[in-house]
Amino acid sequence: MMSNNRERINTKVSNSTEHGVNFTIDLVAENALLLSWQAKISLTQHNEIIALQAMITQQLGELIIETVASYHCLMVYYCPQLNSSLQVIEKINSVAKNASHKHSNGDDQDNNPNNKLAHQAAHEHCIKIPVYYDREQEWDLADVAKRCNMSMDEVIKQHSAHTYHGYALGFTPGFCYLASLPESLQLPRKSSPRIKVPKGAVAIAEQQSAIYPIESPGGWHIIGQTPLPMYESHHGQFNASIQVGQNVQFYAISKAEFLALEQGLVE
Amino acid sequence: MKKNFLEIITMNGQASIQDLGRLNAQHLGFSASGAADEFAFLSANKLITNKLSIKPVHNITKINNKLGNDAAIEITLGQISFKASAACTIAITGADCQAKINNVTVNNWQCHQLHAGDIIAFAMPKTQLHSYLSILGGFTCQTAQQPWLGSLAQTVNEMALGFTGEALMVGSKLYFSTQNQPLAEATPAQTTQLESLKANRPTTAPDLFYPKQKLTLRIMPSRLFLQMSSAQQQQFLATEYVISPNSNRMGYRLHVKPSQTSSPDKKILTQQLRSQCLLSMPVTYGMVQFPDNEQPIILMKERQTMGGYPVLGTVMQTDLFRLSQMRPGGEVAFTLITHPQAQQQLRTFYQKLY
Repeated sequence: MMSNNRERINTKVSNSTEHGVNFTIDLVAENALLLSWQAKISLTQHNEIIALQAMITQQLGELIIETVASYHCLMVYYCPQLNSSLQVIEKINSVAKNASHKHSNGDDQDNNPNNKLAHQAAHEHCIKIPVYYDREQEWDLADVAKRCNMSMDEVIKQHSAHTYHGYALGFTPGFCYLASLPESLQLPRKSSPRIKVPKGAVAIAEQQSAIYPIESPGGWHIIGQTPLPMYESHHGQFNASIQVGQNVQFYAISKAEFLALEQGLVE
Repeated sequence: MKKNFLEIITMNGQASIQDLGRLNAQHLGFSASGAADEFAFLSANKLITNKLSIKPVHNITKINNKLGNDAAIEITLGQISFKASAACTIAITGADCQAKINNVTVNNWQCHQLHAGDIIAFAMPKTQLHSYLSILGGFTCQTAQQPWLGSLAQTVNEMALGFTGEALMVGSKLYFSTQNQPLAEATPAQTTQLESLKANRPTTAPDLFYPKQKLTLRIMPSRLFLQMSSAQQQQFLATEYVISPNSNRMGYRLHVKPSQTSSPDKKILTQQLRSQCLLSMPVTYGMVQFPDNEQPIILMKERQTMGGYPVLGTVMQTDLFRLSQMRPGGEVAFTLITHPQAQQQLRTFYQKLY
């Protein structure tokens, strides 16, 4: 009974690796497909995901309601009243095959000179985020230093020496998951989340860093605060300050600079 | 002119403005949000418009512009009253709050006429959670606000952003569109129209839609679930759960029913499988998350867009509408369904209710 069921119930619809496409597709809801790549944080893989996301949005237009990217997945929403899942899957596969065809017509991604240029351009457009790393121990800087077995200065130095990549937006509007944090700073989430994390809090957890766009609950370790807003909106549009696929660096500022910037932005 | 409104004059529970939500803004991190129980929400809109549209909807913008998606007030656990500043025609559905217009009890799942100065009061419902109040012509909400990213739906965690008006409270005024002449003032033809609106009944009887007691949730299994051993799958499907008090529009938390708690060493999900699921990924409506304590969390309308727990499968949407009306203490269990079956159920549901 059960084994019969298991076969009928199987929702794996596509294992596309044999076509040079590196993801699988699962039917995860009546109106959603989940494309999954290898469960790892990899810049090359993520660039492939967001490139495919852009092509799906462009080429499949009205078929698609929404796409949401993360480290190793792409969720695709469509309208089941209009299109069968199989139609949508077929189209996604054909978009992906064309894309991988273009890539493989030469060399792999990392050796492709165009890709190198793209990477360089992305680095030049690195977003610089000023952070007041709070030494007054209101938040978690001292605790993080202790648990990572280093000085607070060293935590600041390591956190701000690194370039991060935006892998996903989520949790709250404009909250961008940035990776990867240097291994020496990696800690599990706090065992019990804070009820209130302030707007602009710069926090770390596991391999990730992020900035809280609005006051909200949160379970990450807060090491500082930025005066920069994490979103802007006008004419009914919402723009996250850090977009998926962008690169980010943090730099330390003093409390006085923090207050000046914060006030300057308020005026 | 935005003169006509319903004003909240007493409130002792929760209420918010809801429509079918903003599925299309999840890539920015916005919750999809939307009416918890689409059966009651769409029934309210259908009662009041009596429009039978089974045309396919092209995309979310068009879904949101459809008559059936006019924003309604979602009232949770009743205990609220409104005063009408002008004549209007309303429909009430969902949890039965023994609604009274000027102290006279009126039927649930029906259209009613309010005159200027009338008061409609909702009591605490004896069963279920969410009731819907829709209005002919649709609410334009508090300050005639524009839909935000295609929807007027309010999300608790996003109210601080200020894009969807203020949280509803005593004194909140909910403006309604004046494009539709209130039926009360009243050519004979319109009076007949009101009588015929009052005669409208839901296309599916609510008694047939909602479960009497225990609800068996039909889930589409995830890839992870299919990797579990047959014994582990059976163990999950044989477990009876109780809805925890710590459940809300974001998610329903379940506990294993106390009478049948199994030995703690008998884990449903092995560490080996669990370790494949460490990275946060996009999540959707109805996903069954399975944290270390093996007490499932079912993601509901106000879910966040990303999640980090292993997912065993996705509850089909028509069962989620049923689940959203169940209170803490209610009993649920899971059974499997295929994707095409779930999709067919949803298609049939929308054909009846749009």
